[in-house]
Amino acid sequence: MESQRGRPALFRSLAVCGLGAMDSTVIRHVAEHISTRSCMPYTIIPEMDIPAYAFDEKRGQYNSKVILKRLMQFPHDCIRLLAVTQVDLFVPILKYVFGLAQVGGPCALISTYRLRPEFYGHDPDRDLFMARIGKTAMHELGHSLGLTHCRNRRCVMYSSTRINDTDLKRSDFCPTCFELFRWHLEKCRVEPNLYVPQN
Amino acid sequence: MPGKGKVQSMKIVPPGKKKCVWMEAGVVSYKLCDNNYDCPTCVYDHAMQTKVARQKESMVAKPAEAQPDKFTATWVEKMMMLPASSRKCRYMITGEIGRKLCPNAYECGTCSFDRMMQQRLQSEPMAVSASVQVAGFEVADGFYYHEGHTWARPEYGGRVRVGLDDFARRLIGKLSGIEMPGIGHELKQGEAGFGVRRNGKSAGILSPVDGVVTRINDRLLDHPELVNASPYEEGWFAIVEPTRLRKNLKDLYYGEEAHTFTSEEKERLFSMANDDLNIAADGGISVEDISEELEETQWLRLVKAFLRSK
Ligand SMILES: [Zn+2]
Ligand SMILES: [Zn+2]
Repeated sequence: MESQRGRPALFRSLAVCGLGAMDSTVIRHVAEHISTRSCMPYTIIPEMDIPAYAFDEKRGQYNSKVILKRLMQFPHDCIRLLAVTQVDLFVPILKYVFGLAQVGGPCALISTYRLRPEFYGHDPDRDLFMARIGKTAMHELGHSLGLTHCRNRRCVMYSSTRINDTDLKRSDFCPTCFELFRWHLEKCRVEPNLYVPQN
Repeated sequence: MPGKGKVQSMKIVPPGKKKCVWMEAGVVSYKLCDNNYDCPTCVYDHAMQTKVARQKESMVAKPAEAQPDKFTATWVEKMMMLPASSRKCRYMITGEIGRKLCPNAYECGTCSFDRMMQQRLQSEPMAVSASVQVAGFEVADGFYYHEGHTWARPEYGGRVRVGLDDFARRLIGKLSGIEMPGIGHELKQGEAGFGVRRNGKSAGILSPVDGVVTRINDRLLDHPELVNASPYEEGWFAIVEPTRLRKNLKDLYYGEEAHTFTSEEKERLFSMANDDLNIAADGGISVEDISEELEETQWLRLVKAFLRSK
């Protein structure tokens, strides 16, 4: 048995990685954003490739569920892994997704594809783009820690069906979700669930 | 009279609500219709008719004691006191048609215009006045929703049109056939009244209300795809003469409740379809045909879970 002391710093941090080519400032923004709000250290891990088999010819999009399953196969010595990609994601039943996570699971995934104002025919707006990325990342991190959707439209755990929902909600949790978030996070600190990868 | 007119004009009829015919005729100053203009079954109408009759009797006995604020005329009598050019047809009062004067002294039972309107209103679905997107599904305003994803819409004369909601039509997917009850068949709220088929599998559809089927949308028999194209209008299932409407409506979702119900159902659908991973996803209007993305074995399981039929 390895001692607490001997464990690398990564073990108690939130890991962020790019999936496919990613702008490094976006990755750092995500890492700093979730790290500040959860008072947890972050680690940026090297970029991974998007599995080609996740691409769905008929849809012209990547199947986020397939990617998530792939991410879960890697062992991660961290509290949670958040992957960021710029390709368009979907999940069966839905036309597209901004993000995906296993509730209470080790990995989460977000796409910046539909967060760019340009996607909606608007002028580029770096601040708006970054704010959307921050909210989406926090939301998926919340899921992966065990939080489910919140009915409060202003809470970051409100489910975004459209980009307007994302713009309307704040980047923070409502008081109830905040309590839950802290409680789940505390559990991770005490007994970090170092998960065993699936085969 | 100017004083009285002032009082009336201060009371504003809320949008979406309709004046009772007794208010329209000026017998009472404020009363909204709560029985879908089905006067023969309206408790209020009965009470008013009785009141007027009693008042008339007492006036015959002691004419001097009759007071001006007592109800001495029925709404039909009041309307008949108006010049012919002011006697609005009841379909004009209810907003079904623009301008139309009563040609038949409010004896609707023998009016041929009334008969024509009844037939026309039954064959043509009323247009959806407004609808909202809830979690990517269309929820039409003014409709009552059953938890089995059928809707009921009370229409003029007390009849109720029923159909399938947007959530169900996307979940079921492209229909290959519809099973309809016969005219005269008695439906029970929460019990299977209709059926849908797809790829050789079928599922029951629950009736949102109690009542007797008076008309079915027979276009659906040859064109079940109308349900997919227009669930709230062209794709209606049947018209029902309700037997317990007021009680039934209390058990249905309406307005804000229907929105909450729909978003909860979307979450439930998503987690059931992805129960292998317990995933939460964000984004996404649902695809037009959800069933196309489900495995064959999942279809029947999910359709039955959401239509709540056996
Ligand atoms: Zn919340
Ligand atoms: Zn979510």
